[in-house]
Amino acid sequence: MLEKETELHKKFWEIYSKQDIKKIKEFQTYMDKFAVNFNLYKDGNFIERSLPFDVIPRIISKQEFSKIEKGLQQRVQALNLFLEDLYTDAKIVKEGIVPQEFVEQASGYLKEFKGFSPSKKIRTHINGIDLVKDTVNDEWVILEDNLRVPSGASYPLSIRDTYRKIYPDFFEQLKIEPIKEYPSFIANAMDYVNCGGINVVLTPGRFNSAYYEHSYLAEQMNAQLVRAHELVVKEKKLYFKNYNGKLIRVGSVYRRLDDDFIDPTFFNPQSLIGVPGIVEAYLAGNVALMNAIGNGVADDKGIYYFVPKMIQYYLSEEPILKNAPTYLPYFAKDKEYIFNNIEKLVIKDVAEAGGYGVLFGHTMTKIQLDDLKKIIEAEPRRFIAQELIEFYDEQCYLDQKLVARKADFRAYVVMGEDIKVWQCGLTRYALEEGNYLVNSSQGGGFKDTWVMEL
Amino acid sequence: MGQIITANVATSLYWLGRYIERIEKTLYQVIKAYDKVIDVDKDAGVKLYDNFGIDLKYDTALEFLAVALTGEHSSNMLTLSGFARENAIISRNHLNNASFGEIIALNALFQNTTKAHVIIDYKIIDDAQSLISEIWGEFAKREHKQNNDYFIKLGKLVEEVDFYFRFHAEDEYSEIIVAEIHTILDILSGKTASSTSQSQKQSGTSSDTMSAIYKKIDTIIIE
Repeated sequence: MLEKETELHKKFWEIYSKQDIKKIKEFQTYMDKFAVNFNLYKDGNFIERSLPFDVIPRIISKQEFSKIEKGLQQRVQALNLFLEDLYTDAKIVKEGIVPQEFVEQASGYLKEFKGFSPSKKIRTHINGIDLVKDTVNDEWVILEDNLRVPSGASYPLSIRDTYRKIYPDFFEQLKIEPIKEYPSFIANAMDYVNCGGINVVLTPGRFNSAYYEHSYLAEQMNAQLVRAHELVVKEKKLYFKNYNGKLIRVGSVYRRLDDDFIDPTFFNPQSLIGVPGIVEAYLAGNVALMNAIGNGVADDKGIYYFVPKMIQYYLSEEPILKNAPTYLPYFAKDKEYIFNNIEKLVIKDVAEAGGYGVLFGHTMTKIQLDDLKKIIEAEPRRFIAQELIEFYDEQCYLDQKLVARKADFRAYVVMGEDIKVWQCGLTRYALEEGNYLVNSSQGGGFKDTWVMEL
Repeated sequence: MGQIITANVATSLYWLGRYIERIEKTLYQVIKAYDKVIDVDKDAGVKLYDNFGIDLKYDTALEFLAVALTGEHSSNMLTLSGFARENAIISRNHLNNASFGEIIALNALFQNTTKAHVIIDYKIIDDAQSLISEIWGEFAKREHKQNNDYFIKLGKLVEEVDFYFRFHAEDEYSEIIVAEIHTILDILSGKTASSTSQSQKQSGTSSDTMSAIYKKIDTIIIE
């Protein structure tokens, strides 16, 4: 189902009708020429591929986006307060708003970091919040918070640049919000929490799926792109190894690898992509890590359930943006509801991400559903259940015709001295009709998002 | 403090300069040989590739082009441009977008030659040379020389002199290039160029000259 056409859409289609549609192929030329890639590993093989792209942008009115913006600022502020509280006083747990057992069983909760407060008490520096627009209530709902290493912002940045070159008419004739400032949001946040030294982007390396993005953002932010062995810790301080052997102090790290891999002396000893001793430097307050270690607890799919309560608890406000209706089998009442309605719910494994571990009740057989119930009964904390959100499709120009595809929206929120919401985002669409999974790692494509006004 | 750059990126930029220069110089020699193979000297291509330690076999001038550019040997253009591409990807955040794009396009041009329907002829060399000119042009445009530019230039000059020594003995021209290399090496090592470059006058064989350069590079880029 497509969203009702607005004046903004009409203006877009009016200009679109006058464009040379054949020029669309120039986008792919650009993607190939500038290696705008999202790489995949399939059957153990590294596949370098460009991310599927659609030329029809998602259009959001400035007025509508303004509400999203306020809701996201509120949410990220509450999530940051939650993390800071959880790892220090834990008042929210002591007061029973979030069950202690629930926190402790979250795989992203790292009790070793209890008592530590990072630079400027900021933990959620770069956030990717996934939303969809519900067709029933015609409103945006939050599907997921990504507070660890959200990726994807470089793709709309790259494609917008190309769009302006290939089809300048849209940008001349429509009031579309500019988006180039996103890297400066991150750079400013890095400067704000910097503990003395240069800023670096830490990448797992050339063969990471998002290496293009790491490299692109480092260049745009004027930060150094480094791999683990190009950093060294001495006396609890982190240094960059310059080509001539000189050591240069690092004050802030935008790390593009998960907690488990960041320091083999602290986490996974098998990690070859981590920096030995970086956690020690971090705990000594000598370097800022973006995002903070231990954030995984807040973007745990189970903790997601409590975010509206966090907003009420910390900010004494009602959530501006709603969660999708969610049930936790951990609570007896919710479990009963799940078991009675499992065929119409979406069941998610809290430990999975990227569209993995998502089961749609309506696609499963009775035997499969019964088996699933048994697993949920045995491990209630491992799952959440959500009502299936019927979200709007977006128009996509695929195989030389306009078709409707399910699309979500990842908004990027950067927290430094203040909380900035990027006036763009990553709209991801499913390649097949009716498919609800839009993740890039599931083969989904992306399109630009235009925040516009008349 | 000068430019901040990792040893890995510095090395990649250096090799990027070398591979682009190697492709350019090789193509130049291939064109010269191609012209001779047509009606002057059938073995001109064999002689050329003998300098690279490669035994090339062909019957016609077009076949010479095909095996020179895409044959199964270490100097084929697909391999060389693939190495250039890889180094460009690693050092991408120190390259400007246009030069990066041209390097990717250069590799794509040679990738395309692997398709069955593509006829390998002079046009491919012409297109490749245009792209290489654009790549060097983009590097030259940068107004303020930073170390990343010097590493590319260093690679270009080292390859140039290395290539030159395959065809010529040491002479005044190679001395000029070598002096320029030492000037860049001095800049990269933080020394005053004028005080040291004079002392780097060549002595011994071309092999000694190259060894001295490599040794100095090893003291500048510390892994």
